Amino acid sequence: MANESTLMATTKSEWLKFRTVRSSIMGVAVTVLLTIGLGVLITTLVRTHWTQLSPLRVATFDPVSSSLRGSLFAQFAVGVIGTLFITSEYTSGSIRTTLTAVPNRLRLIAGKCIVLLVTMLILGEFVCFAAFLIGQRIYLGVVPTASITNGTVLRSVILAGLYLALLALFAFALGLILRQSAAAISVFVSVLLIVPIIGLFFPQNWQNDFTRFEPSTLGVSMQSPFAPSNSFGAWSATLILLAYVLGTMAVALVLFQRRDAGSNQ
Amino acid sequence: MIKIDHLTKRYSDTLAVDDLDFEVKPGVVTGFLGPNGSGKSTTMRIILGLDHATKGQATVNGMRYAELKDPIREVGALLDAKAVHPGRTARNHLRALAVSNQIRKSRVDEVLDFVGISAVANKKVGTYSLGMSQRLGIAGALLGDPGILLFDEPVNGLDPEGIKWIREFFRALANEGRTVFVSSHLMSEMAVSADEIIVIGRGRFITSGSVNDLTKNAEGTVLARASDHEKLSAVVASNHGVVHESNDEGLTISGLTSDQVGRLAFNAGITIFELTPQRASLEEVFMDLTAGAVEYGSQKSDPAHGQ
Repeated sequence: MANESTLMATTKSEWLKFRTVRSSIMGVAVTVLLTIGLGVLITTLVRTHWTQLSPLRVATFDPVSSSLRGSLFAQFAVGVIGTLFITSEYTSGSIRTTLTAVPNRLRLIAGKCIVLLVTMLILGEFVCFAAFLIGQRIYLGVVPTASITNGTVLRSVILAGLYLALLALFAFALGLILRQSAAAISVFVSVLLIVPIIGLFFPQNWQNDFTRFEPSTLGVSMQSPFAPSNSFGAWSATLILLAYVLGTMAVALVLFQRRDAGSNQ
Repeated sequence: MIKIDHLTKRYSDTLAVDDLDFEVKPGVVTGFLGPNGSGKSTTMRIILGLDHATKGQATVNGMRYAELKDPIREVGALLDAKAVHPGRTARNHLRALAVSNQIRKSRVDEVLDFVGISAVANKKVGTYSLGMSQRLGIAGALLGDPGILLFDEPVNGLDPEGIKWIREFFRALANEGRTVFVSSHLMSEMAVSADEIIVIGRGRFITSGSVNDLTKNAEGTVLARASDHEKLSAVVASNHGVVHESNDEGLTISGLTSDQVGRLAFNAGITIFELTPQRASLEEVFMDLTAGAVEYGSQKSDPAHGQ
């Protein structure tokens, strides 16, 4: 019981810290803007060019994932939120104050992860549902639409939101390992953008194997009602991404427990 | 009560703390004195569980810091006044600390009032001067009304009024029966604000005791002005005294008391014009004790500016 109440206290404290700095608020605003704003832009473009699309594009058109594309840009904003939630403690030195108040390091990280997961899940689901519903509204009458009452469609929208929340946790774990905002954000962006480019230099048959394991490809799988070619199905993609997050977090926790937190780096 | 038990800390190639072993008792202000880089901050960080000890341990009230349930209710610390997120307001910073240790919310306003920064409590900490940050740090240390308080170089950045305030404040905390442990590289500061002093250099224990004891046991000198300085020098030298300086002002003698010098001069038929015992200042004692223990000393080592 005692432990439960203190994890509660740690989580409440971290929630207060999370919402009282501008970077979190800005990050949330950018995520909303990118997912919904780009969603509106993309779906509007599809609608106005619908009659000019090739028969192949029309045949393979997916109204669900096309309305959620903005989230693949918002993943960078979410990554910055997750990274800064821990690296700002190191760059400002406040990690020392934080750890004197909560010396149990596992509990501290558990508290931070709860705050990050819950807020990013709410944010991710909100923006994805909004982008989907607005997108279908824009398609209405011209482009085929999907209904949220369809189980597969509902799954795609929910997993698109979960994807953002998991990426925030992944970025947080990178931040905990690297303890430096610029370094952690660079690595995060590299994993999402540069690694796929490296994949292009591989022979074609390797490339397909490699590409489907990339986080952004997993994200596309998660938000598509039907698995795209050379990709995992939605649930497999979710599990693989979850494994990435847990693996990185495990490394981060081991390092965090062993390292001195007091001295300047 | 803080107990340091054969504590050793090694960073990859340097031995920051070398087998320190001492206790800090409640009810007095204990000064922790040493030149910069002597291991004071490292010791304090290990007490707070921020850094891991290589060997030995530090305990507060018989427990390791990490084992304390609501630690800032037992130990309040100010290590680095600037170790606060600059984008957060002082009030929110303190509220987050209070929530984490289940301290009632109204306590935040009490400590803000006490250190005198209530008027700027809703401003971002990044806009604070060092003195204001220092006061915020003190507010944070007092938040849990702890029985043990640690302050690392607290007078840095304070104006003279603030320094006077903080001295009286330490005294008041100790009088309430709390353990007050204050580090400084300034002997003169410790001489006025501490009751007990622990001196370290290069991570090693050098000495400890009350301020009075430390100066009493230190070797004083005697300044003698006499009719015949050459003769007096010879007499002093043949009686196990040492003459350090000889000029028109007189002789500076160590190893003998002023009584002994007077008697020797009388017996030798030398007229004494002036005989002044010169008690070593705490500053000089400190310099003597830590000579060779200043890590980044210049030729004319001055621990007061040994940055």
